[in-house]
Amino acid sequence: MTELEAGRAETLVPVRSGAALQRYRDVLIALVAFAVLASLPLFTGSKALLDFLIRCSAYGLFATSLNLLVGYTGLTSFGHGMFFGLGAYSFGLIMQKLGVPIPVAFVATLAITAVIAAIIGAICVRLKEIYFAFVTLAFQMLIHSTILSWASFTGGDQGLRGGIPRPVFLGINLANHVHLYIASCALLILGLLAMRQIAQSPFGYTLRMIRDNAARASFLGIDVWRAKLTVFVLAALFASMGGMVMALFVSGAYPEFAYWTISGEGIFINMLGGVSTFLGPMVGTVLLLLLNDTVTRFTEYHGIVLGVVILFFALGLRKGLLDFVADWFAHRRETGEGR
Amino acid sequence: MTRTRMPGISRRSTLALMGAGAMSVAAPWVARAQAKTIKIGMPTILSGRVAQLGTSSRNAVMLEVDKVNAAGGLAGRQIEMVIRDSKGQPQEAARVARELVNTDGCEWLIDGEASSGSFAVHEVARDLGVLCVHTCSEASSLTADPKQHIPNAFRCVRQGIHDSIVGGSYAAGIAKAKGLKKWATCSPDYAYGRDTTGEFTLYLKRFAPDVEIISESWPKLFQPDYTEVVTKILQAKPQALYSCLWGGDLTSYIDQANIYAMFGQMEVFAVNMADYTALTVVKNLPKGIHSGNRYIKTFPTTPENAAWGDAYKAKYNEYPTNWSWQNATAVMFLAEAAKKANSTDGKKIAEVLKGLTIKCPFGADGTVTMRGDDHTLVGYAIGWGTTIPQEPYVPEVKAGDWKTIFELEAEWKKSKGYT
Repeated sequence: MTELEAGRAETLVPVRSGAALQRYRDVLIALVAFAVLASLPLFTGSKALLDFLIRCSAYGLFATSLNLLVGYTGLTSFGHGMFFGLGAYSFGLIMQKLGVPIPVAFVATLAITAVIAAIIGAICVRLKEIYFAFVTLAFQMLIHSTILSWASFTGGDQGLRGGIPRPVFLGINLANHVHLYIASCALLILGLLAMRQIAQSPFGYTLRMIRDNAARASFLGIDVWRAKLTVFVLAALFASMGGMVMALFVSGAYPEFAYWTISGEGIFINMLGGVSTFLGPMVGTVLLLLLNDTVTRFTEYHGIVLGVVILFFALGLRKGLLDFVADWFAHRRETGEGR
Repeated sequence: MTRTRMPGISRRSTLALMGAGAMSVAAPWVARAQAKTIKIGMPTILSGRVAQLGTSSRNAVMLEVDKVNAAGGLAGRQIEMVIRDSKGQPQEAARVARELVNTDGCEWLIDGEASSGSFAVHEVARDLGVLCVHTCSEASSLTADPKQHIPNAFRCVRQGIHDSIVGGSYAAGIAKAKGLKKWATCSPDYAYGRDTTGEFTLYLKRFAPDVEIISESWPKLFQPDYTEVVTKILQAKPQALYSCLWGGDLTSYIDQANIYAMFGQMEVFAVNMADYTALTVVKNLPKGIHSGNRYIKTFPTTPENAAWGDAYKAKYNEYPTNWSWQNATAVMFLAEAAKKANSTDGKKIAEVLKGLTIKCPFGADGTVTMRGDDHTLVGYAIGWGTTIPQEPYVPEVKAGDWKTIFELEAEWKKSKGYT
């Protein structure tokens, strides 16, 4: 035992300093990425490109948060889209009905999402695999149906109409396209950085252990249910942020945001980009949106094209794009060392 | 540098990104270089369950645009339509609409979206200030609600409230004549179904006060099996049934209700029956179903309308839909407005469109009007008749009275707090 403990102590020290180093590196990368994205409007007047990146922010936050569940914890949620819709609707409704400043609505939406996610999560995370997937799907349909039937409050199937007011705060005017773009990028980068911290923290490694062997984690004294619930709520918060970006982009909220197809797109993105690397879903988001935007320009049979692409990834590569690249690099390094 | 270090797929995606970037930067320039033609963008639904909405809208638009182009275009500029699929998703509709304006250089929008998508495109029009004509969304609130009102958006579509007023008064007449007091309703469970059915029964009871609704069914939109709905209605034994099911839902409902011989046991009022999409698909179209007109080439009974229906059929080998005449009318309005303004400037066109009356094959009196105060279409042919199993399907249509429609619509707007 003592030998084991000693051994662990030895390895822990470099790991900790390594983690700290990596953290600084992540912050640096985030800052550089934000600087590049934020300076983009200086070089191009293309509104379409900015629109594209705003949508990337919304879907990227959503898909990466889903990966916290799917990739890191092994919880394949089929109903993650409910929090995307919830974020869009809460934010839109608060802005329309209460007229509070945007940051207040933002925080309030996160609070509402946290409460609802905690309630739904408390029920769902007790279940495993297909049961978890289906119960999350059921909750999603419950929220979708509620939005549809509570027409006096949510506008029913026609959505939140009349536009979302965007009063100026701290000199930021989200009705201005460039301001909205920079705000979306900031949210994306902050969200990604926060999720990266979660993934690299001891808690993140606990999640990986739960994914690989929940029984073992339990025997080591980890409260598995609590850890799963925590990550469920955290992931919901980031999905809700994505929903808010989308609500600002379309200036409204529509029941389709809470429909299962959004969850499906999230899973599709994760399959495209890969779940074993942190940035996989982000790569998947860019790929899917690029594919979607270019294919729909030329044909209305985009379903066939997207289907073929997913078949290629599922049957051909058998993993997401970034997974494939990462494996290829690892393989090359190994063979290089062998020489 | 990047290329040598990351060969393979990452090179491809870099190229794709660069390509997309170059396209989006270059496209507005290309558009400006061809400024002689005017591009009109059209987001609509071309895939999925209601793809026919988009395809029949597109057909009608192209039919009319070809005519306008042959006659010299809009104020001397040829029209180029850019029509894209939104898949019926509002966020896609918003994206496509923005892309059409910002990237493809479209100067106007024809919005061929239904329900939530039309509201999403409406917000884009509000944001970008681009001239926009809605051509498929029948939701009354799109133009009736003053919160929705923007100076650059118009709606060239029939409305649920108009249909309900005409349907209510027509049905009340028959209810009184035949003594139909016990009614049932069966409509799809979403905003359109609930609102339209509520309004229909409101006006039915207003014109025939002793009518009583004894059974209500709300099947889900796109429900495949209607057995339980049909048996529920049969058990309630009503004397008449109202339904605003449409398209494939209506045809499957009729096919399934036929098995129970439902149509011999009660008078049926199906507002969306008289549309070729439903009439030609039903296996055994029962005789005597009461229906509102959606599009039928025999109503209005003018040679212009019949000619238009035939021309459409000749070109596309199918009959037009309700969406077709609405889209065609939108192009007619835009062409007339451009002629009047002698310009293609969106603001000038919007000014001219307000209150504009044009000659139109689908008008109740040969003309239709874009009402000035709420930017919506009025004066179109609207009426009810009964079906026969073969062409012309609805031989006689009783036209609705627009004076009554205006009176009751004003009252309805007041009750909703819109005025």
